[in-house]
Amino acid sequence: MSCHIVHERAGAAAQTLRLRARPLRVALVGQPNVGKSVVFGRLTGRYVTVSNYPGTTVAITKGRALVGAEVCDIVDTPGVNALDGTISEDERITREVVASADCDIVVQVADARNLRRALMLTAQLAGFDKPMVLALNMVDEAFARGIAIDGPALAEALRIPVIEMVAVEGRGFSELRGALAAAARPYVPALPHASGRAVWAHELTERVRRVSTLSLAYVQETLARATRRPATGLPILAAVLYALYLFVGVFGAQTLVKLLEDGLFGQGINPAATWLADRFIPVPFIRDFLVGQYGLITMGLTYAIAIVLPVVATFFLMFGFLEDSGYIPRLAIFCDRIFRVMGLNGKAVLPMVLGLGCDTMATMTTRILGTPKERLIAILLLALGIPCSAQLATILGILGGISFVALATLFAVVLGQMFLVGWLAARVLKGDRSEFILELPPIRWPRLGNLLTKTRLRVWWYLGEAVPLFLVGTVLLFVLDRLGALTIIAAAGRPIVTGLLGLPPATAQILVMGFLRRDYGAAGLFQLAHSGQLTGVQAVVALTVMTLFVPCVANFLMMVRERGVKTGLAIVGVITPIAIFTGAGLNYVLHYLGVQF
Amino acid sequence: MSSITLAFSSNGTLPLAGLRTGVGGVVVEVRASDTGRADRLLALGVTPGARVTVLQTFPGIVFLCDQTELAVERGVAESIIVHCEELRS
Repeated sequence: MSCHIVHERAGAAAQTLRLRARPLRVALVGQPNVGKSVVFGRLTGRYVTVSNYPGTTVAITKGRALVGAEVCDIVDTPGVNALDGTISEDERITREVVASADCDIVVQVADARNLRRALMLTAQLAGFDKPMVLALNMVDEAFARGIAIDGPALAEALRIPVIEMVAVEGRGFSELRGALAAAARPYVPALPHASGRAVWAHELTERVRRVSTLSLAYVQETLARATRRPATGLPILAAVLYALYLFVGVFGAQTLVKLLEDGLFGQGINPAATWLADRFIPVPFIRDFLVGQYGLITMGLTYAIAIVLPVVATFFLMFGFLEDSGYIPRLAIFCDRIFRVMGLNGKAVLPMVLGLGCDTMATMTTRILGTPKERLIAILLLALGIPCSAQLATILGILGGISFVALATLFAVVLGQMFLVGWLAARVLKGDRSEFILELPPIRWPRLGNLLTKTRLRVWWYLGEAVPLFLVGTVLLFVLDRLGALTIIAAAGRPIVTGLLGLPPATAQILVMGFLRRDYGAAGLFQLAHSGQLTGVQAVVALTVMTLFVPCVANFLMMVRERGVKTGLAIVGVITPIAIFTGAGLNYVLHYLGVQF
Repeated sequence: MSSITLAFSSNGTLPLAGLRTGVGGVVVEVRASDTGRADRLLALGVTPGARVTVLQTFPGIVFLCDQTELAVERGVAESIIVHCEELRS
């Protein structure tokens, strides 16, 4: 790895690194999935989620880094294919960062395999008239595919420092730090049109790049082919889903939950806490508050730690593996036609699958979609039908124990409902669908370090986000119970809960909690089912209603942030009746057919 | 099948959507539309002069452009006009 600094305008370096009132601001800009977040993480020591698909970063992240003796503000930006013409919402965010007067230096991170495309972006970045450095990342992968780039020649042509790196291995960072001081305005002929930039990029690439036919990436290429062709891709998809079910649904939701719920909490923590409370807390009110029926420990903590945590953890681990392998975007090829009926295109598979991790985050990821109409439909469908990891936990925990048919019924009803609502939305809402054009990332073997860091951070995030809400929910239930409000709620909900849905009266309060967080409500169902108070049909109906609810308060707030209060309320207003009436319909049909799970 | 492609290929150019798996060519034109399709394709490297090879045609069209694998719907592939040496000879 060498640093090729050819052109250095006199005083330019001194000017950029002079003592200043605020830290130097460096923006990391580049095409999607070239490794900006890895570079950011290594420079600042702050971890931002790294995955192997375009669109992992949809918002900007800032961090501090020490370069030489100077403190720099580093800004990680969403990936961009273009900065003018037809651009998506996340590309607009990056454009604003680069255009801002605060941005002092632009470091363009590029995939060394795709120099031509990178240079087309360089030509656009040159228009912002900022000092630049070009960092060619993943030179190891480029090498494995027989691609060699003449760095000095490129640096000479562009008159900016060009460095080579392998960011995931930490190679090239000292060169990058050194190059910042020599950042210069690139020399690119003024090319206002995309086609002119394309010709320039093409010619320069031909001059500095050698491609031999030798490729060492045989295994990756075979896997890449197998996962996108229907004949092999669909069996692989089935195998992946089955593995997910075995690892999360059986190992996580049954083995681990049993261990924690019956073992750790059932025989350890809860009896111990009850014993301690009986002995040392004389006030029955406080005793009940901690270890009673709606106790903070016996209900709140047990739900959060014993029932939901094991599934969330196993899910995040498996999910991270799929993310980093580059597999998920390949599903878009299979989904494109179905999604088209719902006013979307195959690209929407990314937010939809991410929703299985967390609907709130996925709502933000809809920024990668092309048109406002597509974003709205995707946000609506995420809120309506995609169960998040925590809720998946309870679904698998309850129905996995009943029967596979019960599980299949739930998913069939929910998917059918999503399809129907999407189909209607595509016809009712104004606006256009964008065309399906998606870049497929290469298949890679996930790096264990990144996988573990990502999983750990997500589990921590779950603990920080969900556990407090579980506890607040428990306190709320306790207070409502003491005030006698639970009986009132149960009475008020009776016509719907016991009448329409055919559920036991106790489910009313759980459905109320489902409004707060649907996984919390589902955890309540889990206990009800565990103690034998729900029949199979009731469990399926209750879970269907709960799955169709808006996921949680955080998701609602995110919808408001992304699309405004009116749209947020409208989505809730549409979804709630759909949830209840679907449940009622399902209950009626199952009873009419005399189904027992 | 061959008669249809021959009709297109009198001068060796035809839409990418008409190529079989494994066949390659050089992009000569990306037809613009009001959906901004050409802009997006250009940004992804599908520019006149770029070498493309079709990797798969069903359920969607997947092709390799330079070192990038791109998946597109048929309508998009119709608008990418390529010059295909194999058909001219």
